[in-house]
Amino acid sequence: MRKIIHCDCDCFYAAVEMRDNPALRDIPIAIGGSVEQRGVVATCNYPAREFGIHSAMPMAQALKRCPHLTVIRGEMAKYKEVARQVFAIYRDVTELIEPLSLDEAFLDVSEVTVHHGSATLMAEAIRERVSREVGITVSAGVAPNKFLAKIASDWNKPDGLCVITPDKVDSFVQQLPVKKIHGVGPRTAEKLAGLDIHTCADLRTRTLTDLVERFGRFGRRLHELSWGRDERPVKTHRERKSVSTEQTYAQDLPNLDACRQELPALIEDLERRYARLDPPLAVRGLIVKVKFSDFTQTTVEHADPAPNLAQFETLLNIGWSRGERPVRLLGVGYRLAENTQEHQLPLF
Amino acid sequence: MKFSISREALLRPLTLVAGVVERRQTLPVLSNVLIQVEGDQVSLTGTDLEVELVGRTVASQVDQAGAATVPARKLMDICKSLPDQSDIQLAVEEGRAVLRSGRSRFTLSTLPVAEFPNIEDADGSQEISVPRGTLKHLIEATSFAMAQQDVRYYLNGMLLEIQSNLLRTVATDGHRLAMCSRPIEVSVSQSQKLIVPRKGILELSRLLDDSDEPVSLTLGSSHVRAHTGDFTFTSKLIDGKFPDYERVVPRNGDKVLIAERAALRQVLSRTAILSNEKYRGVRLYLEENNLKVMANNPEQEEAEENIAVEYNGGAMEVGFNVGYLVDVLTVLNEERVQITLADPNSSALLEEPGGGDALYVVMPMRL
Repeated sequence: MRKIIHCDCDCFYAAVEMRDNPALRDIPIAIGGSVEQRGVVATCNYPAREFGIHSAMPMAQALKRCPHLTVIRGEMAKYKEVARQVFAIYRDVTELIEPLSLDEAFLDVSEVTVHHGSATLMAEAIRERVSREVGITVSAGVAPNKFLAKIASDWNKPDGLCVITPDKVDSFVQQLPVKKIHGVGPRTAEKLAGLDIHTCADLRTRTLTDLVERFGRFGRRLHELSWGRDERPVKTHRERKSVSTEQTYAQDLPNLDACRQELPALIEDLERRYARLDPPLAVRGLIVKVKFSDFTQTTVEHADPAPNLAQFETLLNIGWSRGERPVRLLGVGYRLAENTQEHQLPLF
Repeated sequence: MKFSISREALLRPLTLVAGVVERRQTLPVLSNVLIQVEGDQVSLTGTDLEVELVGRTVASQVDQAGAATVPARKLMDICKSLPDQSDIQLAVEEGRAVLRSGRSRFTLSTLPVAEFPNIEDADGSQEISVPRGTLKHLIEATSFAMAQQDVRYYLNGMLLEIQSNLLRTVATDGHRLAMCSRPIEVSVSQSQKLIVPRKGILELSRLLDDSDEPVSLTLGSSHVRAHTGDFTFTSKLIDGKFPDYERVVPRNGDKVLIAERAALRQVLSRTAILSNEKYRGVRLYLEENNLKVMANNPEQEEAEENIAVEYNGGAMEVGFNVGYLVDVLTVLNEERVQITLADPNSSALLEEPGGGDALYVVMPMRL
């Protein structure tokens, strides 16, 4: 049985700002782009959340909900440095760390012997050290796999710990609302609700075949997760699957032609990001993302190892035709070939 | 058959001939060496049906001419373990081979001479004569790049190409290619290309020395035969089309690096210790007059080496299987090596500075 800890810093960017300026501690703050630039909320603190503000919400909307919200531009370099300190503490426990973002990571502590091998004590020690040495709080989840550890870290947030021991897995999962499963968004949740599936116990009443027929490959995963099973290993090296860039426009792009004119600049930025990839990966396809003025969004993807501007335009046409209204955001990306790591090229 | 011979006179041809004999055989007689005695001439033959080697030596005394086949490896092991300068007497008595030397006596089984297969006579269309040292050099400069058990069977061997006044060898396993050419005094009406199987090449090179003495090659459509003074070597040819090597040799490289060969080889060998054991990838970072070599493995261990080089072609990063580079640096004889590159996805050209008789093409890895 494995022992996995999922560590998640509580409202990370906001926590760093509040640490550095205690006056911000009890007032609603949000870190993100300005309204003028049509920025979105990257992180907000708990007082701000009481107004219904959440990350990825347009800043303009956030300010509508909370006019006295303090908006902070944020300082990426500072957050990276804080994250480095936090990860150094994780690394004192184990080298088997899978970073999910700057402030979130899985730790596989199955083979760690300190604290008598108790993952719960290790998680508490991590939380205590981060709080004392870095000055921000971490919520942690302890479970036999990544799926449950991630749910657990969210369970008692903020500054909380939740442990799901192997003997508790079954009862925990049974009552778990399907909405909590990573990958079940509003659409899937709705579809599941239509089938009268609300909890994992409900999921279990469906056969694997039934779920696969309705949800494709994700159906198999739903089936596994409903029994609390998740064999995914903690990967210290994350394989990049795509590279992309996007731009929110200060003024909506009124029509397809206006969108098309923005493509070259986006592709240029994409090329720059692609060139910086380390290790370099082969391109497998291209992606175009369109977000309309009503906030609906769509992505179009096409497999091709050597994309060109014309192909991006074709995908843009398809994407635009799905909304046919002014466009707020455009994105382009490359789908990358998997596992080309250490790939010997042939002579002929 | 009954004859006497000194241990030394027997051992050298026997060792070479036994080298052709495979340990695992489909036909029992293929484990044996054929011994034929005529006049004072003793000839030894070993074969695996693809490659045949005949070695000739001289008996000190012949009591009775004749022939026999005896287990090759056992006979060789016995002769090797006898004291230096021993006199050996070999005789066939009642269907068994009896070896006597001093107070030792060994009785070996035999199989009928008639069962011993004979590779059909080379349908010799052309015969050329080449200095042994030249052929040996051509083989040794390229044989490391031959494929092994590749499904593209025509890669499991070496291309011999004979043009007027030029002999060329080419070997490739699909990831790297080695090619070496030397002038020879031969005129042919049209160029000939033959693919000699891997084993044939390796056995042939063991027969050759660095001398200017000639080896004559008989080129057939299905066989090649080589004569040196005491040996006759025959190999079947691989029937297939060898890749167009001219197309593979890069001509567009504009980034030229010159390094001390031995020093670079050591740098690469050390770095290789921490490369991925399966893929053996190393990263080369070309900078102004410096080459940085880095490797890391799945355990996240890391090696970094720097070596001064002549280079001003602009910064570039490229990955290679370190074994392919080390192989080339091992066979090159010059003090310095020249590496020409174009970009991280195109092949590298390795040769002696300014170009020598050999050139090597290595395809990069994506790391």
